[in-house]
Amino acid sequence: MILALALLSSVLIAMQRMEEKAPFTFWVFHYGHVSTYQPVIDRWNEQHPDAQVDMVHLHLIAMERRLLSGFMAGTPVADLIEVERRVAARAFMGPDELIGFYDLTDRLRAEGLLESFNRPSLSPWMKHGKIYGIPHDVHPVLLAYRWDIIEAAGIDITGVETWRELFETLRPLMQDFDGDGRPDRYILGGWPAFQAFVEAMIRQAGGAFFTPDGEIVFASERNARTLAEVVSWCVGPDRVCTDARDSTVSGHRQRLEGTVLCSIIPDWQVSVWRNENPGMSGKVKLMPLPAFEPGGRRTSVWGGTMLGITKSTRDFETAWQLARELYVSREVAEITFRGTGIIPPNRDFWDMPVFDEPEPYFAGQPVGRLFIEQAPYVPERSSSPFEQMAMEKMSSVAVLLQGYAERERKYSAEELLPEARRLLRRAEDEIRSHMARTLSFENL
Amino acid sequence: MSAAPPSPSRRSVRAFPAWAPWAFIAPFLVVFCTFVIWPLISSLVLAMQRTYGPGYTRFVGLENFAFLLKDPAFWKAVRNTVVFAAGSVFIQLPLSLGLALLLNRPGLRGRSIYRLAIFSPSLVGLVFVGILFRLVFETRTGLANTLLHELFPAFDPEFPWLQTYVMPSLILAALWLYAGFNMVYFLAALQNVPKDLLEAASIDGASPWQRFRHVTLPAIMPVAGFVVLLSTIGSFQLFELPWILLDNSAGPDDRGLTIVMYLYQTGFITGDLGYASAVGWVLALMLMGIAVFQRLFLSRAEEL
Amino acid sequence: MPPASQPHALLRRLAMPLIHAALITFTALTMIPFAWMIAAAFKTREDFLRSIFLPAGDGFLGIAWDRLTVENFVRLFTELGIGRALLNSIFLASVTSLGATLCCAMGGYALAKYRYRARRPLTNLVLAALIIPGPLLLAPGYQLLYQLGLLDTYAGLILPALAPAFGVFLFRQAMLNSVPQELIEAARMDGAGEFRIFFTLVLPLVRPMVGAYLMITFLQTWNNFINPQVVLQSSELFPLSVAINSLRGMYGTDYGLIMSGTLVSIAPVMCLFLLLQKEFISGLTSGAVKG
Repeated sequence: MILALALLSSVLIAMQRMEEKAPFTFWVFHYGHVSTYQPVIDRWNEQHPDAQVDMVHLHLIAMERRLLSGFMAGTPVADLIEVERRVAARAFMGPDELIGFYDLTDRLRAEGLLESFNRPSLSPWMKHGKIYGIPHDVHPVLLAYRWDIIEAAGIDITGVETWRELFETLRPLMQDFDGDGRPDRYILGGWPAFQAFVEAMIRQAGGAFFTPDGEIVFASERNARTLAEVVSWCVGPDRVCTDARDSTVSGHRQRLEGTVLCSIIPDWQVSVWRNENPGMSGKVKLMPLPAFEPGGRRTSVWGGTMLGITKSTRDFETAWQLARELYVSREVAEITFRGTGIIPPNRDFWDMPVFDEPEPYFAGQPVGRLFIEQAPYVPERSSSPFEQMAMEKMSSVAVLLQGYAERERKYSAEELLPEARRLLRRAEDEIRSHMARTLSFENL
Repeated sequence: MSAAPPSPSRRSVRAFPAWAPWAFIAPFLVVFCTFVIWPLISSLVLAMQRTYGPGYTRFVGLENFAFLLKDPAFWKAVRNTVVFAAGSVFIQLPLSLGLALLLNRPGLRGRSIYRLAIFSPSLVGLVFVGILFRLVFETRTGLANTLLHELFPAFDPEFPWLQTYVMPSLILAALWLYAGFNMVYFLAALQNVPKDLLEAASIDGASPWQRFRHVTLPAIMPVAGFVVLLSTIGSFQLFELPWILLDNSAGPDDRGLTIVMYLYQTGFITGDLGYASAVGWVLALMLMGIAVFQRLFLSRAEEL
Repeated sequence: MPPASQPHALLRRLAMPLIHAALITFTALTMIPFAWMIAAAFKTREDFLRSIFLPAGDGFLGIAWDRLTVENFVRLFTELGIGRALLNSIFLASVTSLGATLCCAMGGYALAKYRYRARRPLTNLVLAALIIPGPLLLAPGYQLLYQLGLLDTYAGLILPALAPAFGVFLFRQAMLNSVPQELIEAARMDGAGEFRIFFTLVLPLVRPMVGAYLMITFLQTWNNFINPQVVLQSSELFPLSVAINSLRGMYGTDYGLIMSGTLVSIAPVMCLFLLLQKEFISGLTSGAVKG
């Protein structure tokens, strides 16, 4: 049979794989980072014949499973792991001595690195004041807007300070072009089901899901107010938001076609936009987010990655040295920025000239500088393993509130507030019941 | 039931060596015991524990199951899963059968081309399906909304498929993905329909519906029962399709949450492995109940 | 001709075009995604967003043919070295499907054609195994692979996939339906050994089922993309599905590249299906009856 042939040939060729395994492994979850780190790894392997490093790119889901098995049951994990917030949080379950990563606080302090990192960027990797990972990024959020359309209408939004002001200024541009009774242009790409948007807004307004030590503050009055306000943007005949998400084809097309004028954008999406939506080059500009109140915070945070050394590492010193080469390096910072738009959390690097280079995609603006200006004001987060659940629940509450608003025809933030409070409390109770299951160690 | 003694007539033929059946079943048994039974037992142990990390486990008996009964998210998952299973059995399967009947018509030209085309979605992986159907169901620019809005201008171009109508969207995606495969099952079944009986019925003046009802349907009933059972079991284990389609989440307000997804979320996202195992075991029990129920109804006694 | 049958005859004449119309509609709906995929594979990134299918222009049929590109395919093989992954996939899928088919056929044979005390409990075991939710075994299964030293080996992927209860069940059905007991007994009378009977007599009789099951397992293995990443640790061992999925980046998805990769990955299984189409359908027939 034909399959027997296939078998034979593949067996023959598969036999030829005879590669010795590097003793030291480094997991990376993102393909783009692989090419950034490859030169560093190659150089390392040349200089350290006794400590060869094998860099493996893993899908986030695969890494998730392997990490959990590793932390729960002691199956092998890599020595050094670069991991996204959602997955890293798993390591922070249970009492501090069970955390799967090394506490790097003293080491960072001893080598004078502690002070150089942007303070809020350390928060997702901290528990009880200890730092378990080196931050990869800051990920501040800015507003991107179609300056060509706005300027052609003779409007200037660079001086706008609050969301309310932004909507009032741009409302004349919301028009119905095809006469079907629905506007064909909206002001902001934001939607209750758009999780990252809801989270960014909650955090920008000074809200949080957990305290730094992991206590839940999900249903706070501040969160209820923010949520009611944000949902009010997305409901009723006068809504100013439309469902145009970050890296979806729908989002890109709506931005390209001018169906939506403004979007929130974190630094890491600079490359996403450049790659996925090349047609918008030169038509967008960045500015700080409008604040919720005059004088309020002009940025937020979206995503985050760290580099951690697992407790099962064969050699902590090697891992630490490699981590330093990767994360405390002007060279890598520059390659990362050029490749992705991500600014480094290391404040010492913020004066590098590359961040002042004009970026043609954003109409010649110095993109790095714009993000760095907001970096110190990025909101703090917690390392709670329930952050992910809370983020999903927050978006769910927003969706329910949106449904309520449309059903009851209540479109203002004031009218929505009581229901927002009720839904938040209910969701918080659900999160609490799950937290009680994994976080109570008193009885052990 | 105890094993029936071999009938006397069989006793007279030359017997096989006693090891023979065991030799044939051995590979299956070895692999099965190692990679299914053993982990299954571990998972049962896990289901009665709370896990906090390596070495930190505590036996809690049936506490995980008690929590599950009161867990609103679990029941939401059950409801969603039942909706999906119903969609698969009552929408997808009849459609597959209909397609098979059309394709089975004598004298149809281009049969193999149709068959290949309708089956082809089974050849692509779920990764592709996930990417694709997110594009189909996107608001405003998605293929579905664009098309419907062009055809019926009153149709809302922001129709929220993957926000409000998550389960219907999933049923549609699954329809695209699996209808062809099930169609092949039915095509296979239709080969069993006695042609002379159909002709006889036709000559007797039976209407197409009567012929289908009294000749075709009884003949394909065994396969239909089998496909329904497989479809139900498959639907209850739905996980990867919505997980990919909803961008590794349960969707807004858990509207795309399925039982297995909940198992995965609690186990691998929240790290509550004991609870996840309890969810899995309850699902297994539910499937057992369904299988027994369907066997009772669809194929009476299994012969031999 | 009796007047009563006239509408009947009309209906019959109309039936064929109606059937074709229905089939064409459904086929078209099924094929739209493929058309989209093929179009996307040949478009540049810029055109990907501007047009749903092919970019509009002033060429033949109003399409800008000159804007199409094969660059995606070139990049796939040069930059990303998809060749090795393709080989890995062929290896994994063919070995797994051959092994699983053999194990399942043997198991099915043992359950269908021998009478012995353990037969009924074993059959029930196989039936019960059908309802075990796979994800339930994820965590303990991974731990087991580690304890057995099978992580980062192809064996860790292939061995657990060798004996799915579903396959044993299918083969049991097929054997019950299409292998006459008398034939086996006659062969036994002639002094044929048990294995000889199985390989020379029984297997050819269930040949369609063999083809169908090869196809099913091949497809499953071919398209599986999570499991290989969990079990395999070295990227040079990864199959095609993993390689393609890794193109779905967090910092931007290159749809053209992914779609060209998907095309490359569909081609082999498409060929396989064309080859095994006949067996596939009659195999399912024999496996499905008497559920």
